[in-house]
Amino acid sequence: MKTEADYYALFDAYRAGTLPDEERAALERRLAADPVLEQRLQEFETLTGTLTAYGRRLALRRKLHAIHADMEAEQAVRLTPLAKVAEEDERHERFASGQAPRPMLRISRTEEKLRAFWQGHRATMMVAASVAIMAVFATLLGLEWWRASQKSSLYGYTVLRREVERIKRTQRSMNRTLNQIEAQPEKVNPGKFSGTGFALTADGYLVTSYHVIQGADSLLIEGRDRQRFRAEPVFTDVAHDLAILQIKDKSFKGFGRLPYSFKRGQSDLGEKVYTLGYPREDLVFNDGSLSARSGFEGDTGFYQISIPVNPGNSGGPLLDDRGNLIGVISGRQMDVQSAAFATKSSYLMRLVDSLSAAGAGQSYNLPRANQLAGTSRPQQIRKLQDYVFVVKVYE
Amino acid sequence: MGKGQPAYTDEEFVAAIRRDDDRALAQLYRLHFPMISHYVLQNSGTEDEAKDVYQEGVMVFYEKVREGSLELSCQIKTYLYAVCRRLWLKRLTEKTRFGGRLDDHEPYLETGAEADLEVAEERDRQLGTMSQALERIGEPCRSLLEGFYLLDKSMQQLTAEFGYTNADNAKNQKYKCLVRLKKLFFSQYQEHET
Repeated sequence: MKTEADYYALFDAYRAGTLPDEERAALERRLAADPVLEQRLQEFETLTGTLTAYGRRLALRRKLHAIHADMEAEQAVRLTPLAKVAEEDERHERFASGQAPRPMLRISRTEEKLRAFWQGHRATMMVAASVAIMAVFATLLGLEWWRASQKSSLYGYTVLRREVERIKRTQRSMNRTLNQIEAQPEKVNPGKFSGTGFALTADGYLVTSYHVIQGADSLLIEGRDRQRFRAEPVFTDVAHDLAILQIKDKSFKGFGRLPYSFKRGQSDLGEKVYTLGYPREDLVFNDGSLSARSGFEGDTGFYQISIPVNPGNSGGPLLDDRGNLIGVISGRQMDVQSAAFATKSSYLMRLVDSLSAAGAGQSYNLPRANQLAGTSRPQQIRKLQDYVFVVKVYE
Repeated sequence: MGKGQPAYTDEEFVAAIRRDDDRALAQLYRLHFPMISHYVLQNSGTEDEAKDVYQEGVMVFYEKVREGSLELSCQIKTYLYAVCRRLWLKRLTEKTRFGGRLDDHEPYLETGAEADLEVAEERDRQLGTMSQALERIGEPCRSLLEGFYLLDKSMQQLTAEFGYTNADNAKNQKYKCLVRLKKLFFSQYQEHET
């Protein structure tokens, strides 16, 4: 019985062609008849074939490495300028000693690590960086946008309409806790905003600030005697912050004769002025002086006045000592001490004149006589107070 | 590069490599290395990786030529580029953390690189198994087989080296080693296959 090694010797000789003729013929016959032997031969061939292929592969790899090393050495020689002769000598020495040539660029271990890290995570880091940048800008823009939307006016300039709703809400919650038995919702809608307005003519025209009625759905005028009238805007002038309203209620019978007159010219600096308004639920008086003949950022349509005004004063009348109406309260500057602004009455007059000239609707019968001149201020106010109203705005 | 070396055309390269002309191989190697190195470096590889990929590519080409089974339907340059490109993309996919498939936007179908690479891969696996089997077979079989098959030493040389009394003894030893290698090799190779 032959061992497998013996068969291998046989196959080896068979493949090498050194087998005598009759033995080869015998083997071939056996191969044809015996599939096990046939397979054994195949395995032998695969094995030796793979071995030689492996040998060739290793040789080729060595060859290519040698070629590559040669090439690199050549390039290094070509790249190295004459000044680096010393380094080159060192390189040659290293070649002579059989060490592999090291690349020209020497970098420290940490730098190597950093480079590897950068290589590996470059994409991720860039994405992270761009997300961060975008987040920052989005936040900044968002904040800016939010602030702009919060403030309806220019920076530092605050219009003085009162946000009734907010005050009311807190009040209502207080009320509710106080009278828990009567947990009844308030019947009267207090309106979202309120401002002040005053009579322009005896037959139902009023003046207020444009920003008070801005975005209004409906307007309600309420006098000192709690009488309410429905009003509608007739004309608005955004640039000078003016609005003319007309009372539409049928029950309205007219204001009666207005005690003040409108000043067509400009007033002088230092004039003592005062205003009446509804910054709260009651009529409030404030006085001061006319401190400049131009308004916020040099706007010539406005006076600057040193009257402490509050939200809700907007649209209130500004009168001088003799009872002439010289302006309409509009707003104040936040970053300046007690600087309020009022639209000049001359602009109001010009607006009224142009409306009359255009012939839209009825003419405006402005009061001509002034009943306030020469009287004391309390007397003036007593006469005035019936012509100053709360303008309630519903959105 | 060629200092007084003849400039080969593609056909001459193939013919010379078939003749086992090392100068031609060296020249071919130098001729196309910059292209592959550039490609790999451009695609987030290093100099060393470029070298590895290029050598693998050249090996595929070389072995095809030596087998005589190369049907070059394009320039050697294009073929090498296609092969190395595939190799590099594969490596990148293995390397990348995201494990996503790298899309190959420029298929080099007409070069036949794709099919050749599959053959080469199978072959690599076979040779890898062989290398492992040789690692595990132990001395003196390993040195004997390596000497005979890998280093092309004659039986007489090996007899002298390993101190056998005659060449027949050495031969018998060699056959025994072959049997052992066979068992190791096929057991592993089959394992892979299943």
